[in-house]
Amino acid sequence: MAEARTFQLSMSPHFGSPQSTRRVMYDVVIALLPALAGAVWLFGFGGALLPVLLSVAAAVAAEFVCLRLMGRSTSAALDGSAIVTGILLAYNVPPGVPWWLPVLGSVFAIVVGKQAFGGLGSNLVNPALLGRAFLMASFPVLMTAGWSAPFEWRNPSAGFGTSGIPAAQVSALPEADAVTGATPLRAWKDSFGIDEHEGAAVRENLSTPGTYMNLLTGRRGGCIGETSIVLLLLGALYLFVRKVLEWRIPLAYLGAVALFGWILGGPGFLEGDALFSVLTGGAVLGGFFMATDMVTSPVTRRGRIIFGIGAGLITIIIRRWGGYPEGCSYSILLMNLATPLIDRFTRPRMLGEVRKHA
Amino acid sequence: MTRLRTFPGGAHPDECKELAEKRAVKRIPAPETVRVALCQHLGAPSTPVVKKGDKVTRGQEIGSQNGFISLPTHSPVNGTVAGLEEAPLPHRRSGPVVVISTESEGGGPAFEPWPDFESRTPAELIERIKLAGVCGMGGASFPTYVKLSPPPGKKIDTLLLNGAECEPYLTADHRLMIERTEDVAAGMRILARALCVDDPAVGIEDNKPDAIEAFGKAGIRVEVLRVKYPQGAEKQLIKAVTGREVPVGGLPLDIGVVVQNVGTAAAVAQAVRDGEPSLRRIVTVSGGGVREPGNFDAATGTPFSALIAEAGGYGDDVARLLSGGPMMGLAQFTDAVPVTKGTSGIVALTSKEARRLTEGPCIKCAKCVDACPMKLVPCLIAANSENEKWAAADELGALNCMACGTCSFVCPSDRFLVHYIKRAQDMIRASKRSKEA
Repeated sequence: MAEARTFQLSMSPHFGSPQSTRRVMYDVVIALLPALAGAVWLFGFGGALLPVLLSVAAAVAAEFVCLRLMGRSTSAALDGSAIVTGILLAYNVPPGVPWWLPVLGSVFAIVVGKQAFGGLGSNLVNPALLGRAFLMASFPVLMTAGWSAPFEWRNPSAGFGTSGIPAAQVSALPEADAVTGATPLRAWKDSFGIDEHEGAAVRENLSTPGTYMNLLTGRRGGCIGETSIVLLLLGALYLFVRKVLEWRIPLAYLGAVALFGWILGGPGFLEGDALFSVLTGGAVLGGFFMATDMVTSPVTRRGRIIFGIGAGLITIIIRRWGGYPEGCSYSILLMNLATPLIDRFTRPRMLGEVRKHA
Repeated sequence: MTRLRTFPGGAHPDECKELAEKRAVKRIPAPETVRVALCQHLGAPSTPVVKKGDKVTRGQEIGSQNGFISLPTHSPVNGTVAGLEEAPLPHRRSGPVVVISTESEGGGPAFEPWPDFESRTPAELIERIKLAGVCGMGGASFPTYVKLSPPPGKKIDTLLLNGAECEPYLTADHRLMIERTEDVAAGMRILARALCVDDPAVGIEDNKPDAIEAFGKAGIRVEVLRVKYPQGAEKQLIKAVTGREVPVGGLPLDIGVVVQNVGTAAAVAQAVRDGEPSLRRIVTVSGGGVREPGNFDAATGTPFSALIAEAGGYGDDVARLLSGGPMMGLAQFTDAVPVTKGTSGIVALTSKEARRLTEGPCIKCAKCVDACPMKLVPCLIAANSENEKWAAADELGALNCMACGTCSFVCPSDRFLVHYIKRAQDMIRASKRSKEA
């Protein structure tokens, strides 16, 4: 008989799916690319592409330096997660901001938001959103004023004809500033501070099919990556097909934004515009690409729904009563902090478990 | 189209059945030396009743039953006892083994055959199943007669035969079902009679249409199951077919159900109808690491290396050798270990087939949570285990993990989730024992 052969021991299972973390991260990168193309179309190479590239480069460099300093394998800098953070950070700054702003934000996101907590998987909040919050707190003027209008880069004399900004708002802006202006959400929010009839007229103007169409296609003021709704949905569809995205968080979040936008988002109770709430600001980008950040969102199924609804409610509250017109990123950051607690209290019913009802 | 029955959760590994599913079972003679383990079943090893130099005949008892959860062990050959020793085994580090030099394999039945088993009482049938040393052939090797002897007050109303065979690569049950349908059917009738159950059923995944057809023709109720891992796990099979859930910490008999593997049924038929103890079993030898995968009917005590040789020998690349399938099988240090009653397959995986052994950080993607067939939260139990927070792991239901491996399979970071959870189980059980003491 043949000599007995010996083999390596290991723990079961000995079989694995081809899915890998790296593949998940690069799938997210791929899913974000259509919106980048849209951003370049709307805001130009200098306004959109350059900030994104610089932001990604800064994020990867920061990750590399941190890993090197901590004596860890630096190959993890290219696992895709830093690239995702870099893209998302850039998508959350206004087009045309100084180049150093997204770079600074990315470095902060990686160093403070991610590596300080222990790197991939250990961070409490979405690093890109923390980076954005840092920029908002430190450079509020750069981050909220001077929104480039779509197509302004191709035709500097073009006005707001296609941007979805109501005429009343446009005409109120000084001539020299005609290439920049308010976002639809700013216009909407400001409508509550002016004469009652005028405000109602502004909101009426914002709730037209023409405006909705412009909002869907991204022809409005907004952050680099948040305006091209259709292209963001295309990316999300890709993630669904690749089974990277699960429907609960996006559905709960956007559903809550629509519902609470209708209930709380108008001058009176139940007078808000649900569709407008979903299509404006960063709701779609946030709902599909930031609230769904795996590391910082709940792992339980019920937890994901609670998370989405909570973030949607906070978004609307901030939009209506907060200091900024946009509440998406803060709402997700706040819910990120609640994630461990949500997970703890939403353990699923085990197979065969009979729950005692108090 | 029949409705496919299934359970919530689970995963869908590559089936890899095509390597061996068309290969008819080949009966191979016992090798020159068999090494028969005295602990082929779950529970206490049987007590040796032979000594070196003794002549033994095929079917003779060489180990006697040792307690309630134990079985007698029989010699698979006629020959001479060459010694009793402690040797490595596929399912535990080592155990007592009777080494027998084979002379022949012939001879009549060890017990009186009962072709008229319908006229026997349930007690007689159960006693025979015990004396024949029949244990579960699906992998866990629990003594079959214990499952047929529910404590008083527990009424069994459902008997399910498990023909799911959801582990990738394994095709032994599949071949058994189509080649020896009659044996399985007879075993099923015996088990039903022993339990006083009407209308037993067999559950088969729908990737085995020929087996489903064969049982249909034999007049057996077939429940067609969706191909999904771990469809063949007892609790999942029961959930899929009956909709009932085995209570946490309980057994199938608590909800009136007994599950038996189809291989066990065939062994029961041989024991009762033919008077033949449990001496042989069908073993699938497969994986990219063997040259000619197939299914073999081998005597217990046959070394894995002999079966590998029957399967054309090893290929150029063998990263791991497993007893059982790739999801729950046990990695073997050596191919000198012998086939036992519970050896459903021998799988040699190439380095490309085998799961990676480097893990990354948990990104909390929740794939394990969505896939866990017990509806646990594997990533959180594992995190608590890594931080040695045993009480927290216990609170999350760590003890309910059956180590099916679905969570580790789907994990994109290749984390050793099963390993962490099993460690937590050990620590929780130890602390509970020390509290009781």
